[in-house]
Amino acid sequence: MASFNAEETLASVKKKQAATYKGNRWRVFVLPVIVFFIIILIWYCLVHFNIFPSYAMPSPGAVVKSFREDIMSGNLLNDMVASLWRVAVGFILSAVLGIPVGLWLGQHITARQAFLPLLNFARFLSPLAWIPFAILWFHIGDKPAVFLIFMATFFPLALAVMSAVATIPAIYFRVAKDYNYKGFELITKVTFPAVLPQIITALRVSYGISWIVIVAAEMVGCQDGLGYGIWEARNGLRLDSAACYMIVIGLLGMGIDRFLLQFSKIPKVRWGYER
Amino acid sequence: MKSKATRLIVIAVLAIICIALLRFRPWNYVATGSSADIIHEGGNKKATRELTIGFLPVTCHLTCPVTDFASKNTQTSTNFNSRLFSDFPTVVSAMEAKQIQASFMIVPLAIKLREQGVPVKICYLGHRDGSEIVVAKKSSVRTLRDLKGKKVALPSFFSNQNFVINKLMEDYGMKPDDITFIILPPPDMPTSLAAGAIDAYFVGEPFCAKAELDGTGRILYYSRDIWPNFISCALVVHEDLIKSNPDVVKDLVNGIAASGLWAETHRAEAAKLVAPYFHQDEKVLNYVLTSYPERVKYVGLNPTDEDLKGIEEMGIKLGYLKKQIPIDELVDRSFIPKTITPAAISVAAIPGSQ
Repeated sequence: MASFNAEETLASVKKKQAATYKGNRWRVFVLPVIVFFIIILIWYCLVHFNIFPSYAMPSPGAVVKSFREDIMSGNLLNDMVASLWRVAVGFILSAVLGIPVGLWLGQHITARQAFLPLLNFARFLSPLAWIPFAILWFHIGDKPAVFLIFMATFFPLALAVMSAVATIPAIYFRVAKDYNYKGFELITKVTFPAVLPQIITALRVSYGISWIVIVAAEMVGCQDGLGYGIWEARNGLRLDSAACYMIVIGLLGMGIDRFLLQFSKIPKVRWGYER
Repeated sequence: MKSKATRLIVIAVLAIICIALLRFRPWNYVATGSSADIIHEGGNKKATRELTIGFLPVTCHLTCPVTDFASKNTQTSTNFNSRLFSDFPTVVSAMEAKQIQASFMIVPLAIKLREQGVPVKICYLGHRDGSEIVVAKKSSVRTLRDLKGKKVALPSFFSNQNFVINKLMEDYGMKPDDITFIILPPPDMPTSLAAGAIDAYFVGEPFCAKAELDGTGRILYYSRDIWPNFISCALVVHEDLIKSNPDVVKDLVNGIAASGLWAETHRAEAAKLVAPYFHQDEKVLNYVLTSYPERVKYVGLNPTDEDLKGIEEMGIKLGYLKKQIPIDELVDRSFIPKTITPAAISVAAIPGSQ
């Protein structure tokens, strides 16, 4: 009897959990939509009651109109593609170079001691400080923007990977020694899987940095891209178009982050997030 | 277990490939490869060579997009493409890297470039006048003297606006530090003035008209009242282009002269024509060009020794320029046409006109 009761309780708890989960899913969609409409309403009121003059704040209607115009003229798509391409190239470049450098520094204490101050120094240089050099060295076009993204993301990424490697429990390596793993095998079979969850987190963080940097980087030395779009809208005294670009930047950034989040749900690395 | 990781990576790679394809559009190259002889698709298919000219969305550079439009719609042997920039440092960088070989540029900056050894020459002007000192509509400022101790925004220390306002201060017997000068991007000037962050600004159109139309600013001085036939920008050409392709430069100067003469008499049409090139509101441009014809002029674009010497002397005096550069090293007047005929732009060809 007792066992039957226990089972029943368990079942009801599970049911309850499922119900709350279902409720949560419903809320996850509805609550943000409500917030969204409240913000639009506040925005509309700010403009409607002239709390901010029209030259300082475009109305939602004007933004929707300029959104349509920008899509029709093809500028918006072109700028989106340009920004995404630069972010993709810069981000992949810094991942391809930053992750191995981080792994290497994490495993060699002498190298770590030698390079850590340099990495920390470079990490604190705002990528925007590199703009004059980026333009001098790479002129205008995709290259300076890619360079700036690389400078902004390489150092934090290498540091994150390095510290992840440095904090791998020593027992992993002792077991690896028992299996006689050395060199490349050690990296692919022990080190890399052990830090993969942190690498994925670090990649997400550096993607966030690069998406912020691209907008600022494109304001100088570029002829297209979302940041350039904002700059151009400002030159053209078109705040409505600038607001429309801001919305696109936010949405794209969010969307890509949602995609990167999926990587942390891969079964092989999920253990890293469920401790 | 592996499937999810593989799937995600495949999605990412496919997305990046799509972006790369959209970015570089390889199909465009294939399409144009077969018809290399025809440079552009406009009414005039006779152009056998082309040139890209840099410009900023200010009315001082208006003749640049007009020349672009004219080269596609009238009979010329060179096709001109205008390339929009948003700030002068980028123009300079593009010029140094020879990504563009001709551009409109503020004159003192061109002199500075020459001083630093970048081989550029002023071949023509793009406008006369077209700059104003603007103060807040309700401010009590009546003359420059009233601006003593106030903040005035300028587009660049290497702008002729900076030189001219310093000349005016001198004329009024003011000391150089009587006014605090702030460098601001022109688009921010009208809003900064409205917000009270600055007391006045001196810049090229349409950023003065914007404050007037918004009802936040009024004109204190027209540039021509201070410095008759004021010039802020000129057509600057890289010497390599002058040497390698003088015919193109000749076409360019001729095209700009013709466009200027056309714009002088077709002001409303010119505003309509350039609005899409500038990505600006046609209303503001129309106001600049038509409200008062003397506001900006597109004739008399021959740079005289007097014009340039005046700028050089003021620049040296203020310490922005180091040495006097001989005028013939700075200017090349050999491409200026003797007779100018207005560009044969058909008003009906302008997009958006009935």
